[in-house]
Amino acid sequence: MRVPFSYLDRQFADVDDYLADIKQLVLTGDFTLGTALDEFEMQFARISGMPHAIGVASGTDAIIYSLKALDIGPGDEVITTPMTFIATVGAIAMTGATPVFVDSNDDFLINADKIEECITSNTKAILPVHYAGNVADMTTIKNIAEKHKIYIIEDACQAIGASLNNLQVGSWGEAACFSLHPLKNLNVWSDGGVIVCRSQQLADKLRLMRNHGLINRDEVVMFGGNSRLDTVQAVVGNRLISQTQWITEQRITNAHYYDKSFADISEINFPPRRLNAKHVYHLYMMRAERRDALLEYLINKGIEAKIHYPIPVHLQKAAKHLGYKTGDFPKCEVDCNQIISLPAHQHLSDAEISYTIDSVRRFYCK
Amino acid sequence: MIANAPELPYVDIAQQHLSIKGELMEAISTVLDHGQFILGKELEKFEGQFAELCSTRFAVGVNSGTDALVLALRVLGVGPGDEVITVPNSFIGSVACIKLVGAKPVFVDVGEDYNMDPNQLERAITTKTKAILPVHLTGRPADMRSILAIADEYDLIVLEDCAQAVMAEYRSRRVGSFGDCSCFSLHPLKTLSACGDSGIIVTDNEEHYEQLLILRNMGLKSRDDCFYWSSNSRLDSIQAAILLVKMKYLHEWTEKRRKHAAFYRESLKDLSEIEVPNELPYEKAVYHTLMIQTTRRDALKAYLDKNGIGTSIHYPVPIHLQRVAVNLGYEAGSFPAAERQAKQILSLPVYHNLIPENLERIVQMIKQFYKQ
Repeated sequence: MRVPFSYLDRQFADVDDYLADIKQLVLTGDFTLGTALDEFEMQFARISGMPHAIGVASGTDAIIYSLKALDIGPGDEVITTPMTFIATVGAIAMTGATPVFVDSNDDFLINADKIEECITSNTKAILPVHYAGNVADMTTIKNIAEKHKIYIIEDACQAIGASLNNLQVGSWGEAACFSLHPLKNLNVWSDGGVIVCRSQQLADKLRLMRNHGLINRDEVVMFGGNSRLDTVQAVVGNRLISQTQWITEQRITNAHYYDKSFADISEINFPPRRLNAKHVYHLYMMRAERRDALLEYLINKGIEAKIHYPIPVHLQKAAKHLGYKTGDFPKCEVDCNQIISLPAHQHLSDAEISYTIDSVRRFYCK
Repeated sequence: MIANAPELPYVDIAQQHLSIKGELMEAISTVLDHGQFILGKELEKFEGQFAELCSTRFAVGVNSGTDALVLALRVLGVGPGDEVITVPNSFIGSVACIKLVGAKPVFVDVGEDYNMDPNQLERAITTKTKAILPVHLTGRPADMRSILAIADEYDLIVLEDCAQAVMAEYRSRRVGSFGDCSCFSLHPLKTLSACGDSGIIVTDNEEHYEQLLILRNMGLKSRDDCFYWSSNSRLDSIQAAILLVKMKYLHEWTEKRRKHAAFYRESLKDLSEIEVPNELPYEKAVYHTLMIQTTRRDALKAYLDKNGIGTSIHYPVPIHLQRVAVNLGYEAGSFPAAERQAKQILSLPVYHNLIPENLERIVQMIKQFYKQ
């Protein structure tokens, strides 16, 4: 049996409706901005419970543009975690600001208790990552941000639909960034991203920035760039967005089933499941003893397990100039040697899940 | 006035897609079948074809023409403290890219070909000048021989902005093949266009090429190894599939634009009030826009508009006079040619599927305006 990590071929088993919508769009020739994008942004704002949503070219751009719109740049420091996809940190660096790392915790999330000691007079923002679809400790982070009068920009790229104390991700800070990359819970058919925010002023600025700073066709009020969510992808998003809740529930169901099935395997350890946090399992990540052997075993069995990611960001070549070294973030470094992600997507069949569970159990001779 | 003549828009993107709609939908469908939406074989194939088209060794597809310029400047090592010389009459992307990498844009005025005036280039050069960024505006090649000679003398990088000029030639060489790197936009309004934002960079330099592949992909050398901090700027696979379809028609579409331009030139040559762009023997312009000049521009535009003929202005406000440029230290009068042209230029419809009757109608309408 083959248990793929990507499910796109299944998502698009029946694409006629999508293609009909795209054909309609081709016949209007309305390929940048326009009504389909307006509609998608409205729908996205609605499901995230925020007043404004702005479509951009990628999740990475969502972070870059959010930081820039808040005037974060050279000389400023932004606090985040090395337990993330490289783009979180790349985005900070692209604004000219300096990324400052705080170790992760048992949840693979930024350790909120260690944030305050990293705050300096140059700190402008905290950029918590809701990694794997799990929510960072936003209550603590919000208190710290308020106390020190710094911004929160949420990296919610993997976490659409997640919440803490019934408050959705995206609602905790000045701005929140989502990715619509093809492998995300809610995806489009290319790179894509969305920023949500509460402030009308910030939303207006972001809309200007993503479109060359043009207030109309001929007048430029700021140097922006070009980062528009393609209209053709908004058309795709408009169809898929109604499935977000179903997708989320499926992934949670799959994850809970894994949790239950591995509970008796002492070699496996997953993050504490917090009752007040809704984890949406973009990734089903766990710690496993003899991780590399397990990975190889599963792949040989046709199960596409993955590591997200084997090298912590602070130890990447790109991070050299930041001056961190091995041992600086022990929790993250140890976890990077132990983590493994199993396929948990919404299109997995019962047989595929059972096969995956059986394979893991067999590896540990259970 | 022609009674009941249908509206003739300045561009008609929808109509341009009608005849190839079937092929486009099939191309999109193929991408869905394999589900490889990021990078992948359509993009590689398109990049191969595009490099060949420009007679360069390499091409790297990115998210937009603006991103192409930003990434090219980064790979060429342009950043804070550097100055980049360009023109004030282009689309804002040509200048924003310089600011976005932290460098300072320096303008030189343009000539009657709407392009960088090489005679004014030298006096804009300072010790901080790192690169020259000529724009092949309207699809007409800039005077690359003079520009390259000066770049050579002062040891400056040349980055061509070919956003409007795919297929244009200068002394029998395609634009894009002159610079250290060259950037193209594939925006929906371009002659070769995606159905969304897209751009591409070409170069002969293998090191630049390898680095660009990494820079457009968040600095990732492989899935797990990050070499440089960078953003995400990949040309979508679906757009690459669409572009591959259109590549087959590019020669034909370009020739049609050139024919339309020749028709305007011939038909309006006796009208002394209007200047239609000429073409020098060693130039092949591709007419992304067909920009005429007239001192009564606004009145002519209004007249054509009233008669159902759409026109456009590229662009009415020179960049050095934009609000965003206040800190660059220029003022009205800094670039007389660009400023005069901004008041006189008018872009006439020139898209490939304009039918002869409509071209004739536009010409007649212009002549009527001047008879009044």
